[in-house]
Amino acid sequence: MQKMNPLLPASDAREAALFFVVAALCFLAVLATLTARGTYTAAKAWTAQVEGEMTVRISDTDRRGAEEAATLIAGMPGVDAAHVLTEEELNELLAPSFGPGGIPDGIPLPLLIAVDASGDALTLAAAINDQLSAEGITGHAEAHSAYAAEVRKALATLRAAAIGMVLLLTMTAISVIAFATHAALLARKDIVDVLHLAGAEDRFIARLFERRFWLLGLKAGAAGSVAALAVTAMIVFSAQSSSAPSELLPKLSLDAGDLIILAVAPVAGALAARIAARITVGRSLRSSL
Amino acid sequence: MTEEGPPLSGEPAVELNGVSLRYDTADTILSDLDIRLKPGTFTFLTGPSGAGKSSLLKLLYLAHAPSEGEVRLFGQRTADLSRKQLSALRRRIGVVFQDFRLLEHLTAFENVALPLRVSGEKPEQYTDEVVDLIRWVGLGARINAFPQALSGGEQQRLAIARALINKPDLLIADEPTGNVDPDMARRIFRLFIELNRRLNTTVIIATHDMHLIREFNSPVLKLQDGLLFADSAYEQA
Repeated sequence: MQKMNPLLPASDAREAALFFVVAALCFLAVLATLTARGTYTAAKAWTAQVEGEMTVRISDTDRRGAEEAATLIAGMPGVDAAHVLTEEELNELLAPSFGPGGIPDGIPLPLLIAVDASGDALTLAAAINDQLSAEGITGHAEAHSAYAAEVRKALATLRAAAIGMVLLLTMTAISVIAFATHAALLARKDIVDVLHLAGAEDRFIARLFERRFWLLGLKAGAAGSVAALAVTAMIVFSAQSSSAPSELLPKLSLDAGDLIILAVAPVAGALAARIAARITVGRSLRSSL
Repeated sequence: MTEEGPPLSGEPAVELNGVSLRYDTADTILSDLDIRLKPGTFTFLTGPSGAGKSSLLKLLYLAHAPSEGEVRLFGQRTADLSRKQLSALRRRIGVVFQDFRLLEHLTAFENVALPLRVSGEKPEQYTDEVVDLIRWVGLGARINAFPQALSGGEQQRLAIARALINKPDLLIADEPTGNVDPDMARRIFRLFIELNRRLNTTVIIATHDMHLIREFNSPVLKLQDGLLFADSAYEQA
């Protein structure tokens, strides 16, 4: 038995244009999601790192006094390690300001103690300040987490913007599909009428359009997703091969989560297309024969 | 065709009570029609062009709702039915349209199988039946042809086969022999008669062909300017 032709004729030029629009929307949505996720992940890793770090600046003493202060701090509860920064470490720290030539001679360098903590950094900084005062050492501990709060705030804004953008693109895709479905129904009115008069239920006719737009959404979504993967891979490759200092760029990569997004996006796009087609066809048919 | 037809009962198969039809801007198309057709009757509908024959048939095959009055089919008041129930009712009606309304992207086989396909039947359940009917209407050699490759007469026979494949309780045909030669016209009418007698199918045929009306000697409904002015038994034209 040969395969039966579909009850709705094969796609026409309108659907080719729709394919492009849905693919482009899916591409933008995936790119927005991946970019937001990549930035969020990189920034979160950075904040997690600085959460447990603090710097103690020691004044009115020499390096030996600073070493004693570091030993004192290292013995405090919640402190994992503490050491006085060497000149090389200071040079590396200030390289973005002074360049690879290092710190010019004659500039007085502060004595800094780097502290790695596992407890609450802000509470620990206050405890270190108290301890230093009690020991008669002039110094001030500053938790890096104070700066991380601003980064967290920016991340929350970034996440909200990304979610908003994906929602907007999804709604746009649904609207475009709904419009296209309505146009397809009008264009196929003769067929829909014959199906109705042959006894087809609304649900049967709606399924024909749902299936058509589900497949279109799936194929267009896959095309958009593959394009987004290519662009993201290009950005990652470009970032990784850049000569810019790595500290200034987030660590971009494609992980399993990103691949899941790339795989799920076409299905989500197709689902949105199917829902849009079902609602549009249902509404239109209720006002027909 | 050996199946039993719908059970005979006192309920008319077709009943129109005070039915009028007006389109949005135009004059009245049909005025205050009262028609009762018992199950198993064979009726001709005739009248000049523009008399409202096609509009009356549209009311009967549920393509339009009346502007006034009520339409009852098989005892069911169509205005009270849900869309799902209307679909089920349409599956009991076979229609031969004046303009055939064949689907151009489907083959002859697929066009005839359409009513069965929308009823959810599988090809293996209906293939033999569809092939037999297509052969019967003389299109066995064109079974895989698309409608645009068929002549007007062949398209008409295909449309008739599609209307008959469901063994409908009510068969409505709008000028079903307009594009076929007299021999084929007689053959088609004999098929309608056979369907009517064997399956007790109620048949309504709109036609201008007075020779066939005389030859087949059945009751005639006459429409003129939207008015039904004769619903008597057969009269000589």
